[in-house]
Amino acid sequence: MTDAARSPAEVTRFFHRAMLIQAILPIALVLMVLGFTIFEPRVLSPQNLLNITIQASYLVIFATAQMIVILTRGFDLSLGNTVSAVSVTSALVMTGMAGAEGESVGSAIFLGILMGIAVGAGIGLFNGFAVAWLRVNPFVATLGSFNIALGIATMASDGRPVFNVPDEFSTLVYSGTIAGIQMPIILAAAVLVFIYFVLNYTVFGRSLYILGGNPRAATVAGLPSRRYLMMAYVLCSLIAVIGALMLTGRTGSGEPNLGGNLTLESIAAAVIGGVSLRGGLGGVQSCILGALFITALSNGMNLTRVDGYVQMIVLGCVIILAIFLDRLRTTRA
Amino acid sequence: MNEIANAKKTARPTAAPSDTEAPLLEMKGISKGFPGVQALDSVDFDLRRGEVHVLFGENGAGKSTLINVIAGTFPPDNGSFRFEGRDIRGLTPHQARIMGISPVFQEFSLVPDMTIEENLFLGREITTGGVLNSGAMMRRAKEVIEELGFHLDPKKKVRELSRAHQQMTEIAKALMGNVRLLILDEPTASLTEAETGRLFSLIDRLKHENVGIIYVSHRMREIKELADRITVLRDGKLIKTLDAEGVSENELVELMTGRKIDVLFPAINHAPGETMLDVKDLTLANRAVEGVDFFARAGEITGVAGLVGCGKSELVRAIYGLEPIESGHIKVGGEPYLHPAPARSLKHGICYFPSDRVVEGLALSRPIRENASMAALDLAQFARMRVLQRGSERRVIQEIVDKLRLRPPNIERIVANLSGGNRQKVMLARGLTRETKLFLFDEPTVGIDVGAKIEVYELMKQLVENGAAIVLVSSELPEVLHLSKRLYVMHRGRMVAELTGNDINEQAVLSSFFQDENQAETA
Amino acid sequence: MTVRTFGSHAHPETGLERTSRIAASVGLLPILLVLMVAFMAVFEQKFFGVNNLFNVLRSTSFLAIIAAGQMLVLIVGGFDLSVGAVIALTSTVMAKTMAVLSASMPDQTAAIITLGVLAGLGCGVAIGLINGLCVAFLRISPFMVTLGTLSIATGVGLLLTNGIPVYGMPDVFVKGFGRALWFGLPATVYVAVALIAVVWFIQARTKLGRYIYAIGGNLQAATVSGVPATGYLVLTYVMCSVLASITGIMMTARLGSGQATMGGNVMMLQSIAAAVIAGVSLRGGIGRGEMVALGALFLSILTNAMNLLRIDSKMQLVVLGVIVVLAVALDELGKRRQIRD
Repeated sequence: MTDAARSPAEVTRFFHRAMLIQAILPIALVLMVLGFTIFEPRVLSPQNLLNITIQASYLVIFATAQMIVILTRGFDLSLGNTVSAVSVTSALVMTGMAGAEGESVGSAIFLGILMGIAVGAGIGLFNGFAVAWLRVNPFVATLGSFNIALGIATMASDGRPVFNVPDEFSTLVYSGTIAGIQMPIILAAAVLVFIYFVLNYTVFGRSLYILGGNPRAATVAGLPSRRYLMMAYVLCSLIAVIGALMLTGRTGSGEPNLGGNLTLESIAAAVIGGVSLRGGLGGVQSCILGALFITALSNGMNLTRVDGYVQMIVLGCVIILAIFLDRLRTTRA
Repeated sequence: MNEIANAKKTARPTAAPSDTEAPLLEMKGISKGFPGVQALDSVDFDLRRGEVHVLFGENGAGKSTLINVIAGTFPPDNGSFRFEGRDIRGLTPHQARIMGISPVFQEFSLVPDMTIEENLFLGREITTGGVLNSGAMMRRAKEVIEELGFHLDPKKKVRELSRAHQQMTEIAKALMGNVRLLILDEPTASLTEAETGRLFSLIDRLKHENVGIIYVSHRMREIKELADRITVLRDGKLIKTLDAEGVSENELVELMTGRKIDVLFPAINHAPGETMLDVKDLTLANRAVEGVDFFARAGEITGVAGLVGCGKSELVRAIYGLEPIESGHIKVGGEPYLHPAPARSLKHGICYFPSDRVVEGLALSRPIRENASMAALDLAQFARMRVLQRGSERRVIQEIVDKLRLRPPNIERIVANLSGGNRQKVMLARGLTRETKLFLFDEPTVGIDVGAKIEVYELMKQLVENGAAIVLVSSELPEVLHLSKRLYVMHRGRMVAELTGNDINEQAVLSSFFQDENQAETA
Repeated sequence: MTVRTFGSHAHPETGLERTSRIAASVGLLPILLVLMVAFMAVFEQKFFGVNNLFNVLRSTSFLAIIAAGQMLVLIVGGFDLSVGAVIALTSTVMAKTMAVLSASMPDQTAAIITLGVLAGLGCGVAIGLINGLCVAFLRISPFMVTLGTLSIATGVGLLLTNGIPVYGMPDVFVKGFGRALWFGLPATVYVAVALIAVVWFIQARTKLGRYIYAIGGNLQAATVSGVPATGYLVLTYVMCSVLASITGIMMTARLGSGQATMGGNVMMLQSIAAAVIAGVSLRGGIGRGEMVALGALFLSILTNAMNLLRIDSKMQLVVLGVIVVLAVALDELGKRRQIRD
């Protein structure tokens, strides 16, 4: 069989359709914001738009973390609880050390961050080992770490927030600015740039796409599949650590429930933005788009005084819609 | 069974006087296209009652597509389809079965975790108001199996059966209803001689019961024995329908390939050099290969022939590092090669082209460029210190793609949209991204058109004449006979023959199977 | 899908594989159960107190029903993350309905109960339909769909009650059923046994049961053999949600009030855990109701034991998570023997 020649008209139609599907989300985003503005003009104010951007910075980071593993046909159910565990343990170290004699705040913060990284890396290693070496289904593996992380978060904190995180830390990750831009945006941008580089310019990043496209082919081609798969889960957790520290700085305390709905939201944001659950498709632009969409949605609903419970319902519907869109996107013309 | 009887009552009008001259099946101008491929182009085909009509052609000629249209898997884009004198439109697989069209495909329609009996009755269970009548079904299952002369235990789960037994189950399933048209797609691929014989006598019986049989194959022996008529397809087009009486093999091969035999296979100047690969007493953990001795030299093509499942694929896969080895010695380029693994093999200059491109070779959703460079990302040309050199990658891959005449030569195209021939070229490109001294080809021309085949053979000729060693594993006898300088024959995991020179002919290969069979049976 | 063979000469088993295989055929579960009971006999005799045993039986009944529903969806190759939320929704809807009806027609207890229960079941049907239709017709990943309906159902439940428990159910419903003892055993046990028997019957003796296995085992084979797969898929998701609903009804009857926090993610995780421990494969095509009931029993005993041993509830979750991971890993290892993939 030879490749059938396609008429120019067919080719153009195919491209138009593909572009249209890709463009649905940005258009929907704009329409949605405009829609909210009709009911509540404040939505479009520069202050609010900045607000949305700052809010979205957190979600973007978590969506990026999820994307790393979704690319490999997996996902991380433990993300939310990892965030909680990191928040609590790093806060404990920071507050514990800052109180001690002769310890500078700087080193307390530094050690606190190290602690957070250690906890995150540990959970990531567990996930990666279970999925890559034990060949456990990612759902089950991250279900396990979901519980483990929850256990760490509650036991370490006795169920109560860890107060008095050093102010300097909050400034570092939350209220500080560089060149007039708030830290959350800067940190999010840094993460995005880094991940963009990794995904497009490193062998590891390329391998993630191949693992998602056909894991067997990756092995046959001599790529260190198991090692890279495990690294993906570790990287995911480490990025989540950054987000966790940022959130901790914002609340000023280590919260055992910080993770809350994060798992759900991060997956939703990634998938809405274009990361396919089938693996092998998606990039940082997907995360930005998805995070903005969900944040703008919450923001709009908050400003128009939509009931919190109704918001849950809306989120659920949005998820289903997003997946449906994803399905359309990945079906060939 | 009640369902089928009832359906027949409603589907068929009162029976007209039987007209054995009118064809059972009549298809005219059938066309079917898929993205990137025109699988069938205005094909005519008819089938008479009680005849065995062989559908003959290369892999990728359109045979599968045609029988899928007949079985209702998908509708044709164009053309007319008449069965038992009635126009057929919008046929579903279920309706086809009710009408008596029973396909036995190469990919089985069996549920692995269910028993044979459950599979036989799937979709046609005997029930009273939704509750299963297990007793009746088990009895009938045993009856059917015995009638067919198979030895199957209906209580066993399909997952636990050998491939041959699964095939038999599939055939039994196809014969459960009232069959008027039986389609057999390469049924003997995994059967032994004895089982094939039983199948042939079954076919004979069906012929006498006026069942029309479409038999898809590209094996000469079977065609000679079974066929009443032969239809040859090539590149989706009907080439010729002829009576099997008095047709010569060469004529068939020429019709199938559109080339004279001598043009299809290039003449290769083998210049055997150093021994690139030396295997001694190799046994795999799963015993697919036992106690095999084998060697391949630079500058020549070493073939490995054998039936499906004989272990020839596993042999080269083990050398590359994809099958666990229990014992034996492998030497590559004179140096011992312990613990084979894909990455290490590549570094040693060994490249393996898997038989199933889609499952093991290609990431379909990624572009040609990424698929071609996948196996070489440790080389400086492609990545320095694990950072991709995208500009360099683009250049190198484009060069190789041009050299292999991949058309159109756009390396950003997604592999999923390529034809079989082009996909194979992407795989071959992989071998050219590194310094490869030993190429392991595993069923390289499955599913690709003749034009691409010739180009693959040309490439093999070039590689070998430039000093590489090639091991060619193939179930296609003509291919392996014409290209090999030295030919091994494997049967049931063992090496049964090593042929050189004039000994490389079909007769010698086939008789080495029989010898081994006879030995096994008398043992 | 190509069904692969396995070589007639298999490599010699490793010790671990051998243990897994034997464990798999005898059934890991009975062994674990015996071990657990023995452990309790030694360390905590309070376990054997009548009230405690009744508690265990009750929570087993609840879990067994919802896990059986989850099993059906797992067999068909899917997932249902919304079962916990269905419990909550059913609880609130049923309680509210009963409360409203009790106020407007106070003497018609039978009608109140019937209508309330029907309303509750209706929730299961509704959510099940949404799940099933999206998965079967829109062909969306069950994981994501049920994640969505989880959110929707929880939201609706909270919206209806504002997070406050709903009282006002007829006494006879609570005292005569939810908290009652029939012939010496908690009433809910009889319901559970009956339902498990029904599920067993469906799986072993009906066309419906076979079709569910077939759809999960090889969808293509099933469709080509004429099984109306889409219809049966929807039906399976509905059955799962209805079973979750029934659990919600029973739990509400016991508690005496409708709660939007009932069930939740914990019960959803437990339902999956019970199924997985009982040998239900995450790939589909395999699973038996009776075994799942045993799995539920094991989990209930385990939870009860941990409570008696004063192990923190969050820690309990950790243990649960680890068990699930181990169970699946062992299951995979056992399977690896059979399939040469």
